[in-house]
Amino acid sequence: MIKRSAAPLYLFEYMFDIFPQLVVNSLIAGSIYALLAVSFNFIFSATRFFNLAHGSFAVIAAYAVFYFGRELGLPTFLAVGIGVLFAATSAILIDRFIFHPLKMRGGSPMILLVASLGVFTVINSIISMIFGSSFKTISNTIDKQYFELFGAAFTSVQLWIFILSLVVSIGFFIILEKTIFGKVVAAVSDDEEVSKIVGIDTDKVMAKVFFIGGGIAGLGGILAGFDTGVQPSLDMFFLLKAVIAAIIGGIGNPYGALLGAYLIGFLENFGIWVIPSEWKDTIAFVLLIVFLIFRPSGILKRK
Amino acid sequence: MDYIMHLSVLVGVYAILGLSLNLVVGYSGLLSLAHAAFYGVGAYGSAILMKDFGFSFLSAVVLSVLITMAVGVLIGLVLSKFDGDYYALASLGFSVIAFGVFLNWRDLTNGAFGIFGIPKPEIFGYKFLAGEPYAFLVLLAVIFTFLICYFVVNSSFGRVLKAIREDEKALQVFGYKTTLYKLAVFVISAGLAGFAGTLYGSYISFIDPGGFDDLVSVNLIVVVILGGLASLNGSLLGAAFFVLLPELLRFVGMPDSITGQMRQMIYGLGLIALMMYRPQGILGKFRL
Repeated sequence: MIKRSAAPLYLFEYMFDIFPQLVVNSLIAGSIYALLAVSFNFIFSATRFFNLAHGSFAVIAAYAVFYFGRELGLPTFLAVGIGVLFAATSAILIDRFIFHPLKMRGGSPMILLVASLGVFTVINSIISMIFGSSFKTISNTIDKQYFELFGAAFTSVQLWIFILSLVVSIGFFIILEKTIFGKVVAAVSDDEEVSKIVGIDTDKVMAKVFFIGGGIAGLGGILAGFDTGVQPSLDMFFLLKAVIAAIIGGIGNPYGALLGAYLIGFLENFGIWVIPSEWKDTIAFVLLIVFLIFRPSGILKRK
Repeated sequence: MDYIMHLSVLVGVYAILGLSLNLVVGYSGLLSLAHAAFYGVGAYGSAILMKDFGFSFLSAVVLSVLITMAVGVLIGLVLSKFDGDYYALASLGFSVIAFGVFLNWRDLTNGAFGIFGIPKPEIFGYKFLAGEPYAFLVLLAVIFTFLICYFVVNSSFGRVLKAIREDEKALQVFGYKTTLYKLAVFVISAGLAGFAGTLYGSYISFIDPGGFDDLVSVNLIVVVILGGLASLNGSLLGAAFFVLLPELLRFVGMPDSITGQMRQMIYGLGLIALMMYRPQGILGKFRL
């Protein structure tokens, strides 16, 4: 840890030395947050309520990889596929059996939010009961290679995180902008009633939204798991990063969520220049509250 | 018998937390997830005052409740800008920030190691040890809290609060400063949560940040909603149910290692079922 009372010149050199490493760390954190935030924002745009079980999808996927990859010894790419599928399927089921019926009963966004809190609690307890609440590593099935670029060290896993996150985000944006499905989702997000009247099967669209959103969140959870490991309590961590990134980026705007995610990644990592590193997790919340007070609509306007 | 007294103390602490949170969630309609922050400030406040500064129990309680209320003013001022789901998120943010402070302000809170050896209360030379004396003390505290909440709810102040919950705009038209009313009830609620914290810390004699994290806020919301929104008796019921459920599970032969998780699961399922069939909670009078 840096002592802030140290000579300024020394501090300056030190900052210069760790600058490339901080950039790399920020990009990796941002890539993980991006998947979580983009998918959270996607589901929020379509359903208009804060789904507090979003981080749980990510944790489900990471534990599926732990089980199929490490316990059963399936090849990594297969385990990742199963993990993503697990998250996507559980998201679809939760919508079908909990959120959808609640909406049919005319539940307000608050009721849905509280119900999602219930889902969050249930998933957390089930995972803790099956796997225990201690920390598990899932990456030791892969050989990690170490790279160095401009004095910043990173692993092959981290390179994968960056690339996969970028590819998935871009692919997702292309689907949103260029396909009929993207337009249908935009229509449902805009006005569910009118979409129904013009003949869109909104239930089916919602199911797809949850499937895709859950899957992308799942991938985020898996990548985070490969980087650091998994623990049931990560659900809150994932959820909060997703919510904060989506809100400060501009809720309802997919590019905003991406922007917000990388912004948090950079602020958390560069924050240690001025604040001791153990405050890293608190920084994002201070940022959220500052944004909620001064610019509640976020950086980018809703699309 | 000691065990029953132990459970009674815990029920009492949760009852105070539930009653005070119900003022904000049930009577004002604001889903606050910041309650664990105040609970923690109260617990840390009195523990530090008694251990490091040699305050007596009563003065430590009064002072740390005042500190908690001051923190409540600050947080409440920020939160007064929000309502609905944004209120829930922003207040959750404060829970996490408070946890960060308990964990990282090591000079004051001893970080993750927590504070050991918090003295038992001594009032006018009588030391309240664990068991019946402490249970009696907590019972008095619960009655005291209940009376405060009862008064708040049934006074003209409480009626204005309920009116704001139903239609804030209309009340503003009539010239009520609605923000001020919401802030006042938030600060009262915060102070009472801090009070619960002081009782808990002295009883368990050890506190660490994990006892006051965001999950505690979530659990308290469940206590309030399950028992019943805008019902003081409901909060007592919710608190009793929360503390006694793991014991009940143990009683039917469930292994100790999973009773905590089982409780979480039953709570989650209960919350979902309530939202479906009875969104105001068991004894509740107001639905979100």
